[in-house]
Amino acid sequence: MKPFRRKGDELVARLVDAEAGIVGLLLDQLEQLLAADPADSGGDPVIERLLPPGHASDPEIAADYRELTEGGLRTGKAADLAVVRATLPLEGGEVRLDPEQARAWLRTTNDLRLALGTRLGVTAATEQSDDPADEEGSQLALYHWLTAVQGSLVDALVAGRGGRR
Amino acid sequence: MAGPLAPAWTPETTTGEESDLDRPWVTVVWDDPVNLMTYVTFVLQELFGYDEPTATELMLQVHHEGKAIVSSGPRERMEHDTNRLHAYGLSATYQKDA
Repeated sequence: MKPFRRKGDELVARLVDAEAGIVGLLLDQLEQLLAADPADSGGDPVIERLLPPGHASDPEIAADYRELTEGGLRTGKAADLAVVRATLPLEGGEVRLDPEQARAWLRTTNDLRLALGTRLGVTAATEQSDDPADEEGSQLALYHWLTAVQGSLVDALVAGRGGRR
Repeated sequence: MAGPLAPAWTPETTTGEESDLDRPWVTVVWDDPVNLMTYVTFVLQELFGYDEPTATELMLQVHHEGKAIVSSGPRERMEHDTNRLHAYGLSATYQKDA
């Protein structure tokens, strides 16, 4: 991976084919998660993290909020996912984003990190695995790789913001 | 700001005498182990128009104290703010100001 950098108004990165392929697979999994019937996915901590309650302690307000916003939240996430898929070079290569597409990438890579991080039980103290060969170690490596992708995109967007002043 | 046209009561000064209905609602961002500090700062600037120092200060408050109030106002607007934060994956809730 060549991290995101700003080129004029665009954000540009480069992925090798294996990386692009993995992102494609993760997008498929995220799409399935988001399309799942809310009634069937009750209790899944990953869904709970992606579509969180709006109130910390009042279940009535939380239910109101969910009814009001959950459909829109799912639709927005699906639209972001479609943007990422459309701009992902599946055989590997350059990712070139306008500022709006970059925000879709930010939100979707964040959702992927939230989903993986929740499954893996990531805490603030979680560090790079020293054994990427085992299953959990390789998922953790993937999590950290996504962190690097998203982090470089945030930095590139922030750098552009400063430049506009 | 004393003067003939100055309001006798401003919403900013909480006196403790106001009714429950007058209390504003707030949107709270909670600390979580996944969201990057740079990302949280970026999102707060993006959604609320905070300048960089203000957004950074709020992000650090979330990080060190576990939570921070990022906006306040009528319930509907706090619902909307919470929803926009959820679209970016931040841990957020809204509640009546304590």
